[in-house]
Formats: sequence, C-alpha cells, structure tokens
Amino acid sequence: MKTELTKSNEQTPARRAEEQRLAIRPRVDVFENEREYLVVADVPGVAKDAIDVRFEDGELRLEARRWTQANTDQPLSAEYHVADYRRAFAMPDGVDADKIEAELKSGVLEVHLPKSEAKRPRRIDIRAS
Amino acid sequence: MLSRLTDFDRTFDVLDELRRQMDRVWNDYDGSWGVTRSTTQPLSTASWPRCNVLDAGANLVVTTEVPGLSEKDLDVSLEDGVLTIAGERKPTELEGYAVHRRERPALRFARSFALPMKVDAEKTSASVKDGILTITLAKAPEARPRQISVKAAS
Repeated sequence: MKTELTKSNEQTPARRAEEQRLAIRPRVDVFENEREYLVVADVPGVAKDAIDVRFEDGELRLEARRWTQANTDQPLSAEYHVADYRRAFAMPDGVDADKIEAELKSGVLEVHLPKSEAKRPRRIDIRAS
Repeated sequence: MLSRLTDFDRTFDVLDELRRQMDRVWNDYDGSWGVTRSTTQPLSTASWPRCNVLDAGANLVVTTEVPGLSEKDLDVSLEDGVLTIAGERKPTELEGYAVHRRERPALRFARSFALPMKVDAEKTSASVKDGILTITLAKAPEARPRQISVKAAS
C-alpha cells in the first residue's frame, strides 16, 4: 500500500501564527475643525515603528502590532488580550492625503488629516456698494 | 396540566438563551475585518485600567493598559498586601474642534488587588512604556517556589 503525502498550500506554522494573531478595534475619538480631521486612538503596548497608517480610496486604515511580552509566565488573572490593533474609517471627501501626519505618544496615536484648500470654509467679504 | 405549560415555557427559554448567545457572537465579530468589537463598548470605571497579573516565579508582575498616562498621572501603592493603582486620565482638551466620536472618556480610577502571597515592598518597581504600566513585585523569600531535589534511595 502506498501512502501519498499531499502538500496543501504553503502553511508553515509561523505563517499560521501570523494570520491568527488576534486583533481588536482600538478606542478612538474623532474630531474636526475647519482645517482638519483628527483621529485619536488608544493603542497601548505599541512602539512607533510597529504602526501602519494608510490612506487609500478615502479610507483611513490603522494597524498596529503590539510588542509581545514573554509568554512563559503563568497568568493568575487576565483582563486583556495581548492583541494587535486594526480599524478603518471612511473619511469624507477633501482630505489632503499628502499632508496626513501621525504621532504616537505613550500609547496614544494621533492622526491629523488636513482638509484640502478647496474644501475649507472661506470667509466672504461683503463690499459696501 | 399546569406543570406541562410551565415546561413548555421553559423550552422557549432555552431558545431565547441560544438566540442571545448567537447575538453576542455576532455583536463581538465584525466580519469585514475579522476584528472583535468588544473594545468599543462603553468604558466601565470598575474595570479600568485592565490588568493582567502574572506569576513569574520569583516575582509577581502586574501589567496594565494606561494609554495616554505618564508616571506623574499614576499612583501605585502597596499596603498590607494590597496593591492599589490609582490615577486620572484627563480629557483631550481641544479648542474649536467638533466631536464626531468619543470612545476615550476622561476618567478617575482606583483599583486594588489583594496579593496572593507576601511580597517585599522594598523590591517593588513600576514603570510605564508605550502606555503599559508594569509593576514588578518581588515575592518574599518564603513565598518563592523552591526546587526540591529528589535523591535516589539506596
């Protein structure tokens, strides 16, 4: 009897672990003034180089990988998962994609999305005739 | 006859419970992005900040998610075997901005933990990095795990 080993698609354990990393939606505040939109997200446990902020087709995507702590310790009590963060927002038209800036400070991510010139409110002077 | 009717009612209880559980599954799952939704539920100050407690052999390690807080906003104390983490998260002060969404409220909190073993208060340290507060409590010598060597009986 011959046993055939069939190879399923490339699924190394490392890759599987990568795909199965748990991700949660970070809490956010969203603000707006006449110059910009501002998205503030809580991402505790993330270092600056582990954040990916993308703006594509009017959608803002936030992804952040958390640094993992050594998992050899025994949890006596666990109230949170050490999970990555992922969230997307549909932004209104008129965001100047080239001028988007992001800043991370003690686990809080701030993304500034400036409005393009054309979308900003303008003050119209009234001339006396 | 009456008892049968009550039984009948309970049958639907089971179905209701099942439906509730299924609702919960769907509520927690955002199919489009494969992301759980639980973090966007309203904050409860009773469980904020969320803490994990680990037993690391000689130490007890408490980690807490405190986004936006620095060491001066936090107050960690140890008294009679009770660890207390207190502090305040101030509101994001923004002049002239309209608010579209607010999931990160300002809050004042205090949480206490009765520690499961004696710790050495002198050897306790706490630090904040990237919005994670880590408190390392050294166990008292008598509370540390001990290796017992097994001798072969002659």
